[in-house]
This record gives sequence, C-alpha cells and structure tokens, in this order.
Amino acid sequence: MMRDSQENIPFALRQFTPAQLREALRKMHLIRLFEEGAEESYMRGLIHGTMHLSIGQEASAVATCMELTDADKITSTHRGHGHCIAKGADVGRMFAEFFGKETGYCHGRGGSMHIADVKTGNLGANGIVGGGLPIAVGAALTAKRLGREEVTVCFFGDGANNEGAFHEALNMAAIWKLPVIFVCENNRYGMSTSAAYATAVKNIADRAPAYAMPGVTVDGNDFSAVAEALHEAIARARAGEGPSLVENLTYRWRGHSKSDRNRYRTKDEIEEWMGRDPIARFRAELIAHGVLDEAGAEAVEAEARAAVAAGIEFARQSPAPGVGDVTKFVHAEAAA
Amino acid sequence: MNAQVQIDAQLRELSYAEAIREAMAIALESDPAVVLMGEDIGTYGGAFQVTGDLIDRFGPERVMDTPISELGGAGVAVGAALTGLKPIFEFQFSDFAALAMEQIVNQAAKLRYMLGGEAEVPVVFRMPSGSGTGAAAQHSQSFEAWFGHVPGLKVVQPSTPAEAKGLLLAALADPDPVVVFEHKLLYKMKGPVPAGHYITPIGKAAVVRPGNAVTIVASAIMVHRALEAAAKLAAEGIEAEVIDLRTVRPLDRETIIASVKKTGKLLCVYEGVRTLGVGAEISALVAESEAFDYLDAPIQRLGGAEAPIPYNPDLERAAVPQSPDIERVARQLAKGEV
Amino acid sequence: MPVEVIMPKVDMDMASGKLAVWHVAEGEVVKKGAALFDIETDKAAMEVEAPATGRLHHVLAAPGETVAVGRPVAFIYAEGEAVGASPVAVEAPKTEAPAPLAGAAPVVVATIIAPDSADLRATPVARRLAREAGLELAAIAGTGPRGRIQRADVEAAVARAQPAPAVAEAPVTAPAAPISWEPHPGDLNVTTRKGVGVPLVMIHGFAADSHGWRPLEEALPKEQALIRIDLPSHGRSPLKRVGGFAELARLMVQVFDKVAEGPVHLLGHSLGGGLALALADIRPRQVRTLSLIAPAGLGPEIDGAALNGIARASSVDSLAPWLKRLTARPGGISHDFAKAAMLARLDPALREAQQEMARALFPDGVQAFDLTAALERVAMPALMIWGRDDHILPWKQALAAPGEVALHLLRGIGHVPQMEDPATVGALVGRHLRG
Repeated sequence: MMRDSQENIPFALRQFTPAQLREALRKMHLIRLFEEGAEESYMRGLIHGTMHLSIGQEASAVATCMELTDADKITSTHRGHGHCIAKGADVGRMFAEFFGKETGYCHGRGGSMHIADVKTGNLGANGIVGGGLPIAVGAALTAKRLGREEVTVCFFGDGANNEGAFHEALNMAAIWKLPVIFVCENNRYGMSTSAAYATAVKNIADRAPAYAMPGVTVDGNDFSAVAEALHEAIARARAGEGPSLVENLTYRWRGHSKSDRNRYRTKDEIEEWMGRDPIARFRAELIAHGVLDEAGAEAVEAEARAAVAAGIEFARQSPAPGVGDVTKFVHAEAAA
Repeated sequence: MNAQVQIDAQLRELSYAEAIREAMAIALESDPAVVLMGEDIGTYGGAFQVTGDLIDRFGPERVMDTPISELGGAGVAVGAALTGLKPIFEFQFSDFAALAMEQIVNQAAKLRYMLGGEAEVPVVFRMPSGSGTGAAAQHSQSFEAWFGHVPGLKVVQPSTPAEAKGLLLAALADPDPVVVFEHKLLYKMKGPVPAGHYITPIGKAAVVRPGNAVTIVASAIMVHRALEAAAKLAAEGIEAEVIDLRTVRPLDRETIIASVKKTGKLLCVYEGVRTLGVGAEISALVAESEAFDYLDAPIQRLGGAEAPIPYNPDLERAAVPQSPDIERVARQLAKGEV
Repeated sequence: MPVEVIMPKVDMDMASGKLAVWHVAEGEVVKKGAALFDIETDKAAMEVEAPATGRLHHVLAAPGETVAVGRPVAFIYAEGEAVGASPVAVEAPKTEAPAPLAGAAPVVVATIIAPDSADLRATPVARRLAREAGLELAAIAGTGPRGRIQRADVEAAVARAQPAPAVAEAPVTAPAAPISWEPHPGDLNVTTRKGVGVPLVMIHGFAADSHGWRPLEEALPKEQALIRIDLPSHGRSPLKRVGGFAELARLMVQVFDKVAEGPVHLLGHSLGGGLALALADIRPRQVRTLSLIAPAGLGPEIDGAALNGIARASSVDSLAPWLKRLTARPGGISHDFAKAAMLARLDPALREAQQEMARALFPDGVQAFDLTAALERVAMPALMIWGRDDHILPWKQALAAPGEVALHLLRGIGHVPQMEDPATVGALVGRHLRG
C-alpha cells in the first residue's frame, strides 16, 4: 500500500528535497514576474528593441535545469529569459542588460536576445534560430575531450527543428556520443507558422530515431514530467552513452515578439492554454503534497516579486556604457 | 623584424602545405586543447594533403574527420572554442564556408562582444582559397573581403611557407577567431621555413621588395606576381616597392602609409572581385590618411573580374590579375601616365 | 489608486502612437483584458487591452491624437473608488534619452575644398609642393593625363623659379655622352601665317622643322591661319636638354599656352603627332580638332637606326640614304631636298642635342612613351593619316585608335604623307578642320 502511494507521488516530489522544490517554484515565479516587469518597462519605453517573452513556459525552463550544476552548460534561444533565471542568473543584472546598462550581464552590448551568464554555465541566448545547436555540440565535445563530467543542455524551439543546423548537430552529437541533451520547447509556433504545418513529423521527438538517439515528448507544462525526462537524459549523457532529445510541449501566452498582432491564433486557444498555467499547477501540486502551504507559497511569490522590484531599481540606477567604448569587447584587447 | 629572419641559421626548405602541417603538429604537441576538425582530414590527409599523416601521429580524437556538415562542423568548433578547446577547422574549399557563414559571422565573430567580453572563441578556420586550378566557379573564390568586413574576426593570407607556418601559429595563440586563407596554388611552393615555434605577427605587413617609384600592395599569390612584375620593371629603371599584406583584418596602416608617402603612387593587387574588395579598403585608407598629400597619381586597383571564376583556362587567367597586368599598370603609374 | 492606462510601445521603433478609437466610453465599465482602444501605427492597427477591471475616467487622448509612449491616456477606477481630480499632473516616467553621440567613435566629416579653378587638375603632392614653394598652381603647366599637374611639373617650376647651376639640368640617367653643347635660354620658336577663323597649330617631327610644312600649307585653304612651333633643338628654337617625353611635353604646353589664346586646331607629324596628342589630352578644352600624321607613341616599334642616322649625319652623303627611308618611293627625296635639309643641320651642337633627344625618347630603338591611353581619352574630332609603306613607324600602330577617330591609311605612301602626297593630305585635313 505504502509503495502504491509512493508511486502516485510525482517524480519531482520524490526526487528533490522540499528546499529544492520551493526554490524551483520561486524561480518559476521569478521568471513570470521578471518578464511581466520587462514587458511593463518596455511599454513605458525604458527598454529598447524588442523581446521575446516565455510567459507560460516556466516549467520547461526550470524543470530542465533542475539537475544541472554551474559546470554544466546550456545554450539558449531568443526566448531565453527563463533559461537564464533557471540556470541561476541574477535578475538585477538581467534587467540592467535589458536597460542597456554597463552592469548588465553583457555590459549593455547584448540585450534580451543575447543574455548570458557564463559563470553559471549559460553560454547565451541566441538571435539566430538554430544558432545554439552546433555550439552545444561543441561544448559537449570539449567536455568529452578534456575528460570533464559535464553535460550540455541545448534549448531550441520548434522552429529550429527545420533548420539544417539541427540535423547536422544531432548527427554529430550521435556519431561522437557526446554528452548533450537537446531540449525542444515546442510552443507550437515559429513566429506565426505552426509546427503542425511546418514539420513533417507529428512530434519533433520523432526526429530522434533518425539520429540514433532516444526521443521523448512530454507535457512541458508539467514540471515533474519534464524533470523526469531530463533526469534520464542527463544520466545517459553523464554515463557516456550519448545524446538524447526531449520535447516539451508548451505554449507562449504572449505574441512572438512585441510586434506580434496575434492574427494566427484564436483567443480561445490562448485562453485554453492559460488554463494550463504551469506555475499554478506546480504550486497546487506542492501544496497538495504538503511541501508548502498557501501562506508559504504566497511568501515564495512575494520573495520573487521583491527581487524583481529590486532588480528594476538596480537597473535604473546603473550607469550606461560610455559611447566611446563602442568597440570595447570586439577583441581581447580593447578597440583593436 | 620577424622571427624567420632571426632564426635563419636553422632554415630548411619546406612546402607551404608542409609548413602548415608542421605548425599544426607543433600546436598538437604543445597544447592538449588543440584539435583539428574538418572533412577528410584524417586518413585521407585533407583535400590538399595539408593534414597529411597527422592522424597517425595524434590519433582520430585530435584529428577529427567531420561529416560533410560545414555549418554544423564550424558550429561545433565554435562551441568547443567557447568552452576550452582550441579547434583548427579546415574547410575543403573556402567556397564551402558560405555554408557556415552563420556560425562564423553571427556566432564566432560576435560572441565575445554580445557577451560583453565574458567569453572568448579561440577558433581558427583554415580556408584553401583562390583560382588557377580549373575548378571553376564554386571552388575558386577569394572571400577575404567578406570576412574582412566582420568586426570580431581576424583575417590572414600567407604568401610563403614561412609565413603560412608563422601566421597559423599566431592564429592559434590569438584568443579570438582567425580566418586563414591559404592559396591553393601555393601549397606546393617551397621556401625556407625556420624550425620550431615562431610567430608571424597578425596585423603586420612586410615590405618584400623596396623601391621608390610605385607601391604595390598585394597578398597571397599576388605577392609573387607583383614581385615578378617588379623585377621586370627594375630592368627599365623603375623600382617598385612591393608590400606583402599578410593580414587583411586588421590592416597594417602604418606600413602602407609610410610606403605611399615615399613613392606617391599606389597600386592595390588582389584576387577577390575588384568591386568592394580588399584593395578598395586600402585605397580608401590611403586617401583618408596623411599619405594623401603625397599622392602623385590616382590610386589604381587590379582585382578579380566582375564574374564568377570561369572554367576555360584562358578565361580563368583573364579573370584575375596576372604579372603582365601588374607590370603594365605599375609602369604607367611610375611614368605619370595614369 | 486608479490604474493608469498608458500608450504602450507595440513596435520596435515606436516613440509615439496615434490613438485610433476608444472601445469604451468615459464612465463606462471595462473588464481586464477587454479591448479598450486601438492604436494606429504605420504598419497596422492594434488593439490595446484594459489593464484592469473598473470604470474608465479622465480620458486624456481623443481619437486621432498622437501620444508619446508611456504617457497616460486614461485611468481605470475600481468600482466604488472615489473619482478625484485628474491625476495627469503626475509626470509620466521620464524616458531615458539615449546619450548624445558627441564623443562617440570618431566620425570623419568631409571638408569640401573648393578647387583652385574649374579647369585646374593637380595631384595631391603637386598641390602640397606648390603650396610649400609658394607657387600658384595656375601658373604651372600640367603634363599629366588631362593636363594634370604632377610632382615633376611643380619641381620643374620650382627649379625655374630658383636659378640653379646649369649642371643641375643634366639628366641623371642619360649615358655619359660627349657634352659638347650648352642648353640655350629662351622660348621655342613660333611662326604664324595670318588668316581667318580658328588657327591651326602645327608641330613637326623629329629632325625636321617648320619649313617641312610648306607643301601641305599650299594644299590648305589660303585663308587658314597657321601657327607653327619648332621643337626644342630644332629649326630656330633654342637648344634644350630633354630628359624624356614628359619633359618635352611640358615645354610644349608652356609654348602652347602662350600661342593658343582661344581654341585652335592641332596638327602634328610623327614625334610632333605624339606631342599634339599629349597636348590635346592635357588641354582638351582648347583643342577643337586634332589631326595626327603617323604619330609617335602608339607602339614600341620605331626605325631607330634611321632616326639616329639622320640625327648624326654630318654631310649630304650620309644624310641622303637615311632620308630615303622616309618615303615610300626612293625617288621621293631629291638630292636638292637632302642638301636643303643638311643646310638646316650644319650646327654640330644642334645635331648633338638631337642625338641626345633621340636617346632619351627612343632608347634602344624603342618608343619609350605610350600614348594609347591618351588616345582613348581624346574627345574632340580626331583624324589620323598614315602611309601604308611607312618604314619608320609601322602603320599598324594606327589600329590603336578608338572607333571615333577617322582613319586614313594611304597606299603607296611612307612616313611623310604631307610631302609625298600633299594634295590628298591637304584635302583630308582641310575637310576635317571645317568639320
């Protein structure tokens, strides 16, 4: 009887400590609030350019990174704020980057689309769809060549699975048995083009057999399902058995970027997915299993809210880079 | 003064390809982070036999055959460089780098900058380049200006075996991505090459023939064609100064400007397409510099024809500057006829 | 606290937005997420959703109004919340203006320098040297393509301005030749025939002089005004040292600028043809038409032996055989002609100066100057006459002419068509001058 009830407990709750689970919830709230704060700042004209919000995809980012250490690497995408926070970045320095400040992670040179935090193993978001795929394979090659026990997680979207780089990267990772996990965040649309229209296979994980690697499709809004799939893939990578492909089915609540007019999807569809809010689900799960109570959950959210407010304030107060330094960081020596 | 002058006691004759191989062997021996990657560079020895027998000496883990995946392969090299390896990635032909522009231009060149100096990409891309082999339009191009247009990349074009070795070792020592254009017609050319490790500095041109009548700036095989022309002109009493550019980015402004101030005449010779080519940049930098007030004739450029490289051997020769072309224009410049 | 409704940034480059229409009237109830108003951008109209549930008050922007991003356009009050005075006094968040570009990476602002005069062409180094020497560029004759003043032109002008020891003029590269003559000061000899209309400037060939034009002059219209120039060390011109074609051209430009007050027609034979071509290239606006008879400078080949032989000959007997090479038919040159020619060449210093000139212009029996590029550039009507039996300059060099040049290749004629067949040459030139 005892065993049965154990088995009904979701994987994540069996695998991780209450402190880890609480931290995961905090990060999910932090991602949501960070992006809402960024959106608000953008609408007020405080942020330049554009940005790609991942609101609705928080479980995929956080659950994927649960078992990664700072030595493990990730490559991220243009929708990468969540990955960055999940991997351990500080939202103050992230806001500073969005505000174009010298204290930002990229000293104001990268912005939202190139947000990175090399110290926590985040090799960077990427403005090129599919750009990070071969780079992740290269990072895994380094680990293997230098005998490091690191793995690399390569985030990419459903759009990238039709780029040549995807196929070249998966093939090379497989022939060289490299410790890399390809994590597809299938949010159903590459800008406005649906994956159903643009992709010949039903599930992107169906591509995996072509490259002789395991491929699974999971509910990307179910924290535990994602964490479990990654647990297996990471173990396989660390054991030297090679790459895996994990497909997290999810949905972005917002448009592709800030210029999106949402002509290609219906309000009903968006609302239906908002009903599958990954944060609310995970929070309810933690409360149901007694990891947190309502007040504890509120406190977690309040903590995240305070961090976002402090982060925005830090960014606002931070100095801008000097325009004379426009060529700084092009080469190792300043202004080559 | 570069190193090969200092070590002339140890000079031996090696081919350009052998000199490159020797540089790679030195690198593989001295630094475990160095790996070679590329198509058919292992047992086959490389499309131009540049890697040769290195796989026998260093094994397939250090001399890695990649699948025919230029984009992916270049990207793997970028990712490996970003995380601690020092890959030398060989393209079979520089033309195929067009397949990998994304990784070279959007990623390798920009990562340090996009990440605010928090990361570096010490990768070397080797590119067999240039025409003259009858391989026609997709295997004969000279892309140095393409890559020279990208901040974050360094671009070198060795013209001799000694330079090929010294510049490759310099590229490996550089913490940033370097694109090395090796001229295919030079692979078999023999020349003195110092033994051991030395560096030919990136960003430094060399005056390979002094003169006062006209400055000829050339790179790669064009250096040899310019020297041939200069020898003929010398018989007529015209002393042309020939500069071996060596590095396309960053350009050695000082050497070029000093020479033009001396001669008052400038001829840029390059194999890439004339319009918007390397010579266009050199012309502009001279016209903008203090050397302007020393110019005694319009700056002249000899570059590749405004056409793909043709197959027919006569057409192929006509498509890029040859020694008599250089001789003719340099003579006209020297005589004040331009 | 009412919730502020702002003009949101919905596009990358958007600084302000035009409010198109309100979907909710002032005082009405609105639900969070419901359409509140539309923005019109240059790309599309876009719906803005209500940020809160409540009643809309203090509508600050009417349809059609343009509002800066981030500025409030209305406020939403919670049900039952007291509606006070409009909170518009509250300053909208100050947009962080981009730092001014001053001090950014250096941007070179081009300075436009007015040319010294519309016609004047000079290389940068020529300009600098003239500036440093305090010379007016306009006073210097340019011998480069299109009359461009080059370094050597300025240096020559500087040398003239500062009287230098005569030895300084000795050409450095010339082989050690017996220097038994001294260059003479003074201008080149010019003779004229009065007439009407645009005058014809005539330049004779090597080892000839202006007298050689006589047969042609008789074949030209009587009223045609003529200006004849004797080359340096030829005819009545003073002896001059000439180190090369460019130097010779420079002397010709100086005299040309003096004699050609307005537009002229230009005619030259052999070396004079080459010089006429250079003048036409240097002073294109002054030359109305160009006539070239077997001009030099269009290929390397030349009968060097004949040139040297003529320049060297010190008697009628040694001169006559060389003169015979000038014409197609050996009988074309009579003994009397040879005698007259020798009379004009009795001065040994003149002969020595001409030999030196031949060595400079035609070293090793090769034409050391190339005027094909200048011929390409010639834009005025141009005529070229060549004898097909020319033994001195091969007629095939005429084929260097671009299509616009009228080419006449005369059968049975040698190097001096104006003497061998003055009637034909006169008719061709006369017609050419009339256009």
